[in-house]
Amino acid sequence: MASRLNMTRGHLQPTAGYSTSAFGGVAQGSKYSTSFKNYATQNNQIVSYFHDIPLGLDLNSNTVNAVIEIPRWTNGKFEISPDLRGNPIVQDSKKGKVRFVNNIFPFHGYIHNYGAIPQTWEDPTAKHHGYYGDNDPLDICEIGSRVAKLGEVRRVKILGALAMIDDGEMDWKIIVIDETDPLARDMPDIHSVSQHMPGILEATKEWFRDYKLPAGKPKNEFAFSGQYKTVGETVEIIQQCHESWKQLVEGKVQGEGLPSIQNSTLEGTPGYESLSSGELLINAALPDTAIPSEVDTLYFYN
Amino acid sequence: MSYTTRQVGAANTLDFKLYIEKDGKPVSPFHDIPLFADESKQILNMVVEVPRWTNAKLEISKEQKLNPIVQDVKKGKLRFVRNCFPHHGYIHNYGAFPQTWEDPNHTHPETKAKGDNDPLDVCEIGEAVGYVGQVKQVKVLGVMALLDEGETDWKVIVIDVNDPLASKLNDIEDVEKHQPGILKATNEWFRIYKIPDGKPENQFAFSGECKNKKYADEVVAECRAAWESLVSGKSDPNTIDLTNTTLETATIADIQEASPLPAAPIDKSVDKWFFISGAN
Repeated sequence: MASRLNMTRGHLQPTAGYSTSAFGGVAQGSKYSTSFKNYATQNNQIVSYFHDIPLGLDLNSNTVNAVIEIPRWTNGKFEISPDLRGNPIVQDSKKGKVRFVNNIFPFHGYIHNYGAIPQTWEDPTAKHHGYYGDNDPLDICEIGSRVAKLGEVRRVKILGALAMIDDGEMDWKIIVIDETDPLARDMPDIHSVSQHMPGILEATKEWFRDYKLPAGKPKNEFAFSGQYKTVGETVEIIQQCHESWKQLVEGKVQGEGLPSIQNSTLEGTPGYESLSSGELLINAALPDTAIPSEVDTLYFYN
Repeated sequence: MSYTTRQVGAANTLDFKLYIEKDGKPVSPFHDIPLFADESKQILNMVVEVPRWTNAKLEISKEQKLNPIVQDVKKGKLRFVRNCFPHHGYIHNYGAFPQTWEDPNHTHPETKAKGDNDPLDVCEIGEAVGYVGQVKQVKVLGVMALLDEGETDWKVIVIDVNDPLASKLNDIEDVEKHQPGILKATNEWFRIYKIPDGKPENQFAFSGECKNKKYADEVVAECRAAWESLVSGKSDPNTIDLTNTTLETATIADIQEASPLPAAPIDKSVDKWFFISGAN
């Protein structure tokens, strides 16, 4: 029944007009340092990657908007800051040190273009599929051929989802491919991913299972026995996280440590304001900081 | 060891040349850099041609005077190795042993194939990513016998003596213990790396087995002897340039001054990941 309803809604939605080229970015500070911030912009105005870039879910083509945080084969743990006003992309840091993921042999850095779906939120105050959410936008793993760039907004095709459980919280990994990738049209579902990219789904699971081992943490686990969800199920996950996001920006969720809901485009929401560039853009863009050589270390596990 | 590099032109262009200098004077990485950094301790010099996780197929030019490192060219186009999933570029710091040569006139009794006419190839498995033209001190751990389009193309497995793991790695079985999966990945990588270019899968002699240190040392010694025949005139050098600055035949080599340019952008197609069925 739910999927019939989705179909109907899909027909009511515009099928075109989700242009992502309207969005730009502006960098502040030095990449690979805690001073780095990359704000999204639209018409020379700062907008939030989290709240102002539209979801753009198209149920005819199963496509959606995605923000690229981490290009494939790189290590810097960049992410949309849920806490900072305007939600720029920053490098995650711990005790004042910027974080890099380790290389788990045979992989080099992240094996996908990694990012997030705007206007979605995994609600930490409510259980879905038996788990509380991780308080972040939905993560995406883009498997296309091109190496994407930090801060890009791309149209991507939805292929499936892996339910990673991180410290007891649900942290969905939505598998997508850039709409412009030559293989996108040949990939209607998760099964076709295995046909065209043999090994990628197994590698994805292995990567997320093991990537925290070098930090002395246990292996991550997966709900649903690590089975990938279908496109239809994944669309429902995205819709549900979009609903959670709506509750959030409408100020209807109560709790500690919730994300900043300041935004530039959602009139009538409590966080609606003009994100003033004069106030947010106070630093110059600086040359990159050198990446520490230990980031190149390879970790081997049986 | 005071080796530095002298760059001419921009990386990722046909003009790029990287000469090796010792104490500021150009030397040949093929003929002048000694094979042994410390023979009593079995420490060898290795010249890094391709750093790990990069794609440009850089190699010591046999034909050019003083054998600079240049990018291999095919039909006028720069060569890049393809990314074969799950690997990114080369999976080792790849390079060559100076003062070695795989003699194309000699058929190896066990591989039954002739040498590939190049210096001996080296795969360095340490954790640091090297740089083009780096002269590393390494220890030999084992060797694989790739049969690349019908020629013997030994791949000697080594580790940088300064790597944190170096003291624990003394023979091939130690490699599997401390870097589980690396030898299998090495085997797979060399078998499939030319498939995206439409070539058949490469074969390995010895059923793909990695031979131990003792065997590898013998291969190194054979290729060292072949190089000695080459530079002493006992073997036909054919198109190989033997100009050198340290051997009996030393001459003063007049090499162009450094004129480095910023690296040219690499074509986006090099980023493509190729998925090869049944590779794993």
